[in-house]
Amino acid sequence: MTLKVRDISRRPGELLDPISPEELVPLPPPYDKPEDQPGWKPINPGSSERLVCNLDGVVATSLPQPKDPEEQRRYVDQFAAGLKKLLDKNNNWTFLQPLLLSLEYCVRCQTCNDACPVFTASGGKEIYRPTYRAEVLRALVGKYAKPGGKLLARLAGNDIELNWTAISRLYELCYRCTLCRRCAQTCPIGVDNGLVTRELRKLFSQELGWAPKELHEKGTVLQLRSGSSTGMNPLVVKDNVEFIDEDIGEETGLAVHTPWDKEGAEVLLIHNAGEILSWPENPGAFAIILNAAGIDWTLASDEVGYDGVNYGLFYDDVQLARIALRHVQVAKKLKVKKIVMGECGHQHKAMVTVSDRILTGQMNIPRESCLVLLERIVFSGKIKFDPSKNDFPVTLHDPCNIVRNLGIVEPQRRILRYLCPQFREMEPHGVNNYCCGGGSGFAVMSGNNFTDWRVSVASRLKFKQILDAFADQPGPEVKKYVCAPCSNCKGQLRDLFQYYGALEKSGITYGGLVELIVNAMVDVKEPFIKWEMH
Amino acid sequence: MEKKEFGGKLIEVDEDGFIQDPDAWDENVARDLAKTEGVEEMTEDHWKVVNYLREYYLQYQMAPMIRKLCKTTGFKLKEIYDLFPSGPAKGACKVAGLPKPTGCV
Repeated sequence: MTLKVRDISRRPGELLDPISPEELVPLPPPYDKPEDQPGWKPINPGSSERLVCNLDGVVATSLPQPKDPEEQRRYVDQFAAGLKKLLDKNNNWTFLQPLLLSLEYCVRCQTCNDACPVFTASGGKEIYRPTYRAEVLRALVGKYAKPGGKLLARLAGNDIELNWTAISRLYELCYRCTLCRRCAQTCPIGVDNGLVTRELRKLFSQELGWAPKELHEKGTVLQLRSGSSTGMNPLVVKDNVEFIDEDIGEETGLAVHTPWDKEGAEVLLIHNAGEILSWPENPGAFAIILNAAGIDWTLASDEVGYDGVNYGLFYDDVQLARIALRHVQVAKKLKVKKIVMGECGHQHKAMVTVSDRILTGQMNIPRESCLVLLERIVFSGKIKFDPSKNDFPVTLHDPCNIVRNLGIVEPQRRILRYLCPQFREMEPHGVNNYCCGGGSGFAVMSGNNFTDWRVSVASRLKFKQILDAFADQPGPEVKKYVCAPCSNCKGQLRDLFQYYGALEKSGITYGGLVELIVNAMVDVKEPFIKWEMH
Repeated sequence: MEKKEFGGKLIEVDEDGFIQDPDAWDENVARDLAKTEGVEEMTEDHWKVVNYLREYYLQYQMAPMIRKLCKTTGFKLKEIYDLFPSGPAKGACKVAGLPKPTGCV
């Protein structure tokens, strides 16, 4: 029996539509047998009593069970009030127009379904259909947010109920979409179901105070308090970067120096701070390239100025604005000419376009993608390269926020075609890419059994297209590199490759773009890319 | 939040099994936390990793860079995964009584 929109509010306490690894579309060998894979971890018994688990058997958000019916009712009332605010121009001045257009103009042609990597990978699970969430929202808006809605809903046979079961499932369901917006790209009239999901997340965060702790409490709140979502304060970040300078200097035999707080510099580089902690070769490679090209650049040590992440993009307009303003204030104080965004996709999206409406007048400091700057440097003739040093299979992962959502497609490709003799595209690629599976904050969310879901379902088509891109030399004896110029994507690929043992079974590793550039530099004598787990 | 028994004490843990009060940590707590990570016996190598994480945390209130951990202990990342199958952040930090690392790490 096909699941109906109204079912989201029915059968409280039961799973709406359970998912298991056996239902997923098959992967190529040696990953084709589900029984050889690590499987999914069960939710531990203590947590399953304390937390709401009523959607598909997976728990991403760790929503606590309500104490009593009174608390349930309070949340339902808050949701109803939030629904009205979402549709009101005084309360939703950021995304009201595209939201209304998406709610009103969908003709239910379902063209978007096959474009969705989550829906496809799941073998066509109804609740993951990109239109399912939007249909639920439409039905709720029609019945509860419009004058005379309840009467009209009865006449139209729209019998969805706004109750605790519906809102708790809908909240969890908002975290089964990576906001990759392939659906919006495919829609013949531009209906954006990714935006609908994001606006629902916003409603939950801003009206009910519901947001995954990795994004909110340990994300934006921690970033605004300590200076970074990683918890690094200015002293720690400077100490860590000093270590990177020394360590990479020893490895490469070059003098690596990272300038801090240089007033009036041409370029303020803002990394995703996760790079510094988990992938130090990336900021190290940036320093080598920028110095070798003679760029006048600096990092900033004022709070938030050294961490480009802005998880507000994924779930909350207020947090988004607070962080974006802070980035610009730091740049203004240092009187830099422009901000260059490091290899981080959502940072690009947040800073380049989404913050546009608050970064007006004096605040409108030029912002540039590092990919564009790197292309200029690589083809400037200032650095000598020997592309034969990169003579191994390389493919390129397109971060959704940089490529599909911003249209920065070619700079990174021109660099790879020049520096990597065995560069090959995956299919599809460019603006038609598949999400890594870690988009919209998923890569940093790992509570309960959510990591298993995101590597098996959200990443499935990505993993398949990576394996296909290397199908000419599938064995582990040939080392292969997936270039992913985005921290969030790298975190997801790390978890994905670790889950399946892709380095051991297929010789596949991953890294950023700058690492490949430095690996090809004539002045760097030892191989920069290490082919080990990182 | 749920309370569980580690090293003979009842300690609050989050849904990922990280203890909430770093001061409640001691070596017996670590041995029991290790069991939740599939580490039945804490060897000298395990302690080397855990003690460094602990030391760094007490000084800076956060986990160290993975590369600092590798360099100080002399283990490659792969070897740290061999010791703690969930890896340095989700495995070793948990056993060392640190909060779960945050941000894009």
